[in-house]
Amino acid sequence: MNLTNAETWLHKVNPSLKLCVLLVLCIVALFIHDLNYMMNITIGVLLLFLFFTGHSIKRILLLSIPFCFIFISTSSAMILFGQGETVWFEWGLISISEESFMRGLLVGFRALLFAALGLTFSLTTRPVNLFYSLMQQVKLKPKYAYSFMAALRLIPIMMEEFQTIRNAMKVRGFKRGKGIRSVYFKMKAYSIPLLSGSIRRAHRIAVAMEAKRFTDTRDRTYYYEFGFSRKDHGFILYFFILLLAGFYLSIQFPLLSLIL
Amino acid sequence: MKKGLKLTDILVTIVIAVAFGIVYILWGSIYYSVKPLGLHLDQLIYGMWFIAGPVAFLILRKPGVALLAEIAAASGEFFLGSPWGLTVLLYGVVQGLFAELLFMAFRYKKFNMSVAVLAAVASCLGSVIMDFAYGEIGALSLWNLSLFMIARFLGSIFFAGVTAYYLVKVLEATGVTNLVRPVSSKDYAELDQK
Repeated sequence: MNLTNAETWLHKVNPSLKLCVLLVLCIVALFIHDLNYMMNITIGVLLLFLFFTGHSIKRILLLSIPFCFIFISTSSAMILFGQGETVWFEWGLISISEESFMRGLLVGFRALLFAALGLTFSLTTRPVNLFYSLMQQVKLKPKYAYSFMAALRLIPIMMEEFQTIRNAMKVRGFKRGKGIRSVYFKMKAYSIPLLSGSIRRAHRIAVAMEAKRFTDTRDRTYYYEFGFSRKDHGFILYFFILLLAGFYLSIQFPLLSLIL
Repeated sequence: MKKGLKLTDILVTIVIAVAFGIVYILWGSIYYSVKPLGLHLDQLIYGMWFIAGPVAFLILRKPGVALLAEIAAASGEFFLGSPWGLTVLLYGVVQGLFAELLFMAFRYKKFNMSVAVLAAVASCLGSVIMDFAYGEIGALSLWNLSLFMIARFLGSIFFAGVTAYYLVKVLEATGVTNLVRPVSSKDYAELDQK
């Protein structure tokens, strides 16, 4: 994404370390079954997302709209159709019980947490920086990293080609049909030229890279160099404290008992 | 085989995958516009998210391609700002791994429709396992869970299996696949004929 925005301390955290910490947190979140604890952690991550990505609050709110959709859609199925003993409400197939309600909220908050972590990462990290850092710190093979970067560069070209095909159809007077056959025709008309064009282009790029002696040795030089700094310690510390404080608060001051 | 995938294979795989990453993003908006209808109609179209692995494997026919493709498609989707965030990365790895294991079980030597369908089913299985951990779907009432499973498996077979197979079939007609496929003994036989 090429959106202009202010740089915050989150931008300066080492990209591989950032990805690593967030993935670990996601895996930890899979094993949290206490709703109060989950809510505390989600709030801690939402704070980062709302105030520390360096984007205007307007844009942040715009990006949060899908969050609401996801929260509602993931929690509602569990709330309406989950199993449970203490039934609150029953109507036909729908049965809302205390257990299913709590579990629905848990799943909803988990989805919210994952979404907020992901967007916080992609708003504060340039993909190119991530791949350079992965090569330097994680020892990812250069051929993988450069392939990824080349592929990301091809996205705008793919979009342009998509537009070209659309214009070509318009010029030739292609009428919008109805039914499943026109959907099938359209999918074919767009996907085949786009895919075959991309494969040809990727093949040409690879041949050119090899012709220019692109090597796979890891002790190469890099245009961007990444290391570790105090910001990285701060980043780890933030999540460490979040996990501990969230746990403490969930026992001492459970949010749920305040609401219900 | 010389150590692993060549630069060409990797680049082509990732480019195909990133193209599917764009499709995945668009698919997401269809998905949650169908979702509130309830009764797991959304699961019928869930299978589209497994398509990158089988397509890439059927085009390139090499070990490791299916896994790489699903990971790359997921990270493409992630970078383009998927509202599902890091979930897509975790799911992508697991789905790709399951498809890859299936192709491995056939020693990377079968490229027909049934192997594509089986790979789709394997990916689907991976995603269901993830859903037990992430979405707690084990706690859904039984009728609801069975509906969910049937819808998802049928959808995967259609999208990631059958559709992927025919897509590659049509791509073969354009001749582009010959650029990137490993040479087979048939190709050598053709050279010998003169």
